[in-house]
Amino acid sequence: MLLLQNVTKKYGQFIAVNNLNLTIEKGELFGFLGPNGAGKTTTIKMITGLLSPTSGNIYLDGKDVWQNPIESKMKIGYIPDQPFLYDKLTGREFLYFSGGLYGLNKDYLTNRINELLELLKIESWVDKRTEEYSQGMKQRITIASAFLHNPKLIVVDEPMVGLDPQSAYVVKKFFFDSIKNGITIFMSTHSLNVVEEICTRVGIINKGNIIFDDSLSTLSKLKEEKNNNLEELFIQLTREE
Amino acid sequence: MSQILHILHYKLLTFWRTNTRIDITSLLKNIGSSITYFGFAYGAFYFTKRFIWFLISEIKIGLFLLHEFMSMILFIFFVSINVGNIIVSYSTLYKSNEVNYLFTKPIIPAKVFILKFLDNFFYSSSTLLLILLSVLAGYVSYFKMQLGSFLLLFFGNFIPFMISAGSLGVIILMLLIKAASKVNPKTVIYLFANLYLIFIIFFFKLNSPLELANNVFKYYPFINKDLYLGNLVPSFIKYLPNNWLAETAFWINRGILFYAWQLTILQITISIILFIIAVYLGSKWYFNTWLLNLKITSDYFSNKKQKQSFFSFSKKSILDPLKESLFKKDFLNFFREPSQWLHLIVLLLLILIFLLSVKGIRYKGLGNFYLQTGIYLSVFLFNLLLISTLSLRFIFPVISLEGEAFWKIKSAPVHPSNIIINKLFLFGLFILFISLLLTYFSNYRFEFHIKLMSFIISFIATTTIIFINLGMGGFFVNYKEKNAIRIASSQGASITFLLNIAYMLFIIIVIFKPISNYFLSLMLRKTFEVSNMLYPLFPITIVSTIAIYISLNSIYKTLKKDF
Repeated sequence: MLLLQNVTKKYGQFIAVNNLNLTIEKGELFGFLGPNGAGKTTTIKMITGLLSPTSGNIYLDGKDVWQNPIESKMKIGYIPDQPFLYDKLTGREFLYFSGGLYGLNKDYLTNRINELLELLKIESWVDKRTEEYSQGMKQRITIASAFLHNPKLIVVDEPMVGLDPQSAYVVKKFFFDSIKNGITIFMSTHSLNVVEEICTRVGIINKGNIIFDDSLSTLSKLKEEKNNNLEELFIQLTREE
Repeated sequence: MSQILHILHYKLLTFWRTNTRIDITSLLKNIGSSITYFGFAYGAFYFTKRFIWFLISEIKIGLFLLHEFMSMILFIFFVSINVGNIIVSYSTLYKSNEVNYLFTKPIIPAKVFILKFLDNFFYSSSTLLLILLSVLAGYVSYFKMQLGSFLLLFFGNFIPFMISAGSLGVIILMLLIKAASKVNPKTVIYLFANLYLIFIIFFFKLNSPLELANNVFKYYPFINKDLYLGNLVPSFIKYLPNNWLAETAFWINRGILFYAWQLTILQITISIILFIIAVYLGSKWYFNTWLLNLKITSDYFSNKKQKQSFFSFSKKSILDPLKESLFKKDFLNFFREPSQWLHLIVLLLLILIFLLSVKGIRYKGLGNFYLQTGIYLSVFLFNLLLISTLSLRFIFPVISLEGEAFWKIKSAPVHPSNIIINKLFLFGLFILFISLLLTYFSNYRFEFHIKLMSFIISFIATTTIIFINLGMGGFFVNYKEKNAIRIASSQGASITFLLNIAYMLFIIIVIFKPISNYFLSLMLRKTFEVSNMLYPLFPITIVSTIAIYISLNSIYKTLKKDF
């Protein structure tokens, strides 16, 4: 589904992502962990077409994302860490706007928006301008906008930032149901309990290098071997590196 | 005071670090900026000198008329600074994150007010200062004045003049917010806009440049051309700072320094009084009006009912979904931002006044073909200047205004050409329409071939100016700045404005010969060879094509850049 092959991103002399190799299969919920500044957001931005890799290739369904940007972006839904929206549009207008970018027709879009509003429980304030929204409200509108066009791959950067426990529960359930429907999710997060609860595979990146890439069960085994909880194991792994 | 200095220290540090990044791109930008600034400064200096020479030696308008025309131009400057400051101050004093942050700290609101006031004033006036300095240097040099006169005019007159305009702007803003808390905000804005407009119309009605020129010319050649004919100027004009400034220059020129000093002292006194009033009201009202503004805004939003407008997203459209989305988003963002549409209305009103004035200008029968050429080219240049101002204000910021929400478009399957076409469609076509309207009103008295050439050149020049502004707006893109006026008065915008002026002067130089030949042939009642009008099209087309190509390249690069 998604293949990252020797992907490197340099900013001058600084290497943000170093020769990254990853394969994500269809229907996986891949948890991408790492401390601050490890290279998570840079990797995500390279997958979604916001940052060009210095070297290496990213393939989606066998096609190079950077060679076929329009075709690839049709298959991706992106949820950034900072849910910046157009302040003067209402949430509903932002969703119509987002759908239009993917060429969705109006009747389909109206139904899909109503469906997502109900699923993510955002009907009550969706007609207010987004400049009045809290961080959590913006986050939920962003999540809805990523699912409008039924993408094959969802790329999420820190989805739980600013969400209250109820909203976090709704979002986790929504993601979990999505992978059951065959959608693949690539999710960067700091929230280790989210990884334990919903991810099927985990990758840990530190200082631009992948230091762990395996299933959640392998991570759990390692955790038991070292007699740690996940938080202690994560700190240990990233410190050792 | 130590708190203000402490904050200023970190603001300067941020500014310094942003503008002195040592990498190839920044270095090239800085070298390019310096060359453009220097080139422009010299160009403005030289042009002013030549233009004054043309008016004084060729057209022989005399010192009095020259300075009264200067007074009218300074009035437009005053209005621009004043309106600009009202709009910018609203964004920076009442809506900025920096102010929200500072209010969470133990700082007296009056200090925040002073900081933001100075910040606005110097940030948005830097280009204006450069232009004024160069023009003033040209003026002083032409009349061979001494350094002391230059310093007196600049520090004793221009700076206080600008401070008065800025202070008055912020005083008006606070009064408007106070009024808006008691009456409907929309009513307050409409009422204020109408009063302001009436004042501008009233000014030009009573102080028509044409009427004044005709009245002054009646006395020539019977009197000394440099005589002061103050009785021809309506008395209320003499109470305005623009007139004090122009007349100070007049009296320095005539060597009667007593009058010059009197007016300078008046200018400085008024600016100090207005500044003190602004600071006093700021210390009394700023925090209060800040809270009022929050209340007005939240009341406005909570009482606002969503109407199904013509541009509603949920309505079906004849456009394809992508184009419809991009267009409606830009349209709604523009018309829901008061600083955008308010400024547009002000500029359109100025254009309307200009159209009405230009309609009455007679070029024929003046007896001097140089005078006719001068008037024609001045009107043409002013048309282009208006187009350049509109482009700088509404085209230059369009990419920056996408802001940090641009991730949505950048991560969506949207080709950069769609973004460019949409921006040009919405703003470019409108500016092109205004340009053709200006061309029509300033040329409708002429023969077909002159009209046709003007339309063709205006079309090419406007398109080029639009592209230059779009390209440069991409080159100097700043996604973090939300305020369109601040983007349009940034360093990048100043450089773009200078490029626009250089391009406009190129057009004027190229069409000078055929236009003067045309007026000469009219005067001598000879047949004018229409082919004369075709020659300028060749260099104009080549230079414009190159400028458009470079601008398009720049905008494509920006849209493909890392985000």
